[in-house]
Amino acid sequence: MRFHPRLTVIAALLGAAITAGCAALSPGASNQLEEARAAYRSAAADPAVQANAQSELQSAAGALQDAERMAAEGKPAELVEHNAYLAEQRARVAMRTAETRSHEARIAAAAEERRQLQLQAREREAAAAREREVAAREQARQAEQARKEAESRAAILENEKIEREKQTTAAAELGAEVKRLESELADVRAKQTDRGWVLTLKNELLFDSGGSTLKPGAQRALDNLAQFMQKYPDREIAIEGFTDSTGSKEQNQTLSEKRAWAVKAALVARGIPSNRIDARGYGPSFPVAGNDTATGRQLNRRVEIVINPS
Amino acid sequence: MRTPLIPLAALALAACATTDPPEREMGAARAMVSQARPIAGNDAPQELAEAQLKLSRAEAAMQRGHYEHARILAQQAEADAKVAWTVAESVRAQRSAAEVQDANRALREEMERKGQ
Repeated sequence: MRFHPRLTVIAALLGAAITAGCAALSPGASNQLEEARAAYRSAAADPAVQANAQSELQSAAGALQDAERMAAEGKPAELVEHNAYLAEQRARVAMRTAETRSHEARIAAAAEERRQLQLQAREREAAAAREREVAAREQARQAEQARKEAESRAAILENEKIEREKQTTAAAELGAEVKRLESELADVRAKQTDRGWVLTLKNELLFDSGGSTLKPGAQRALDNLAQFMQKYPDREIAIEGFTDSTGSKEQNQTLSEKRAWAVKAALVARGIPSNRIDARGYGPSFPVAGNDTATGRQLNRRVEIVINPS
Repeated sequence: MRTPLIPLAALALAACATTDPPEREMGAARAMVSQARPIAGNDAPQELAEAQLKLSRAEAAMQRGHYEHARILAQQAEADAKVAWTVAESVRAQRSAAEVQDANRALREEMERKGQ
C-alpha cells in the first residue's frame, strides 16, 4: 500500500511538532524564511525604497531579524514562519510604498508641467488677443482713412462741380457783357474763339488813315472797354494791331504797334493797370480777308482785343 | 501569496503556551483592514480578501480562547491589510499619474493645433 504524498507531509509535520515540541525548523518555515530574505534583499537593494520607504524597510528588517534569531535559537517553526511571513509582507509594503512615492513624484511633475502649459496657453492667448486688437485697430484706422478719403474725394468733386458751375456762369456773364459791348458799339464785332472772346475794332472807328492818334469818336468805345475791364479785374487782355498789305511791311509793323500801344495808353489813362494789358503789332500778318479788294483790305485793317479766359 | 499552515501551527502552539488575549494585535488588525477596505476592494481585491479571511479567523480564535493563534492571525491580517492598502495606493497613484500625463498630452496637442 502506498502513502498519499500530502498525507505523508502532514504526518511528517505532525510528527515534527509532536516529537520535537516547539524546536524543529520545518521545511515550510525554511521556505518561508528563504522567501522573506529574498523579498527583503530586493527591497533593500532598490534605491527608491532606500530613498522613500525607509521606515517600512526597517520594519521588514525587524521582522526578518526576529525570524532569523528564532530559527537560530531553535524556536518553534510556526513562530519562525510567522515572522518570516511578516517580514516578506513588510518588504512588499516597502516596495509598494516606494512605487507610490515615484508615481506621486510623476503626478507632481505633471502638475507642474500642466501649470507651465496653462501659463503658456494664457500667454499665447493674451498675445493672440493683443494681435487681434492691433489688427482690429489697424482695420478701423484703414476704414476711417478710406472714409475720410472718400469724403474728401466727394468734397473735391463737389468743389469742382461748383467751380465748373461758377465758371460756366462767369463765362456766360462775360459772354453777355461782351455781346452787350458789341451791340452798343458800331464797328465792333465780338467772336468767341479758343483764345477767348475776341473784339475786333475797325481802324476807321479808332484812327485816321495812316495815323496812330485816337480819334475823338473812339472815346466811347474806349470808355466802354475800360468799364468792362474794371468790372472783370482778374481778366487780362491782349491788344493786337493789324494792317493790310499796302505799303512797306516795316511801316505797317510799326504802325500796327503804335496803334496797339495807343489803345493800351488810353486804357491805362482810364485807370486800368498796365500789367493787365499786353499790346503788340503784327503788321499785315494774320489777314482775315484778301488784300486784293478794298473791302478785304478794310477788314484786315483792325485792332483785336483778346479777352483771355481767367 | 503564500499562506502559512496556520491551523496546524495553532494546534501545536496551543499545546505549548497560554497567553493573554491579544487585544492590541486584534485592534491593529481591525483598524488596518478598515483602512484598506474602501480603496483595496477595487484595486487590491485578492490582498484584501486574504486580510479579511485572516481577521475573521482571528476573531473566531479569540472566541474559542485560542489567544496565541489569534495573535498570529491578527498580526498577519494586519500585515496583509497593509499590503492590500499599499498595493491599492500604488495602483491608484499610477492611474492618477497616467491620467494627469494624458491630460497634459491632450493639452499640449491642443496648444500645438491652436499654435498652427
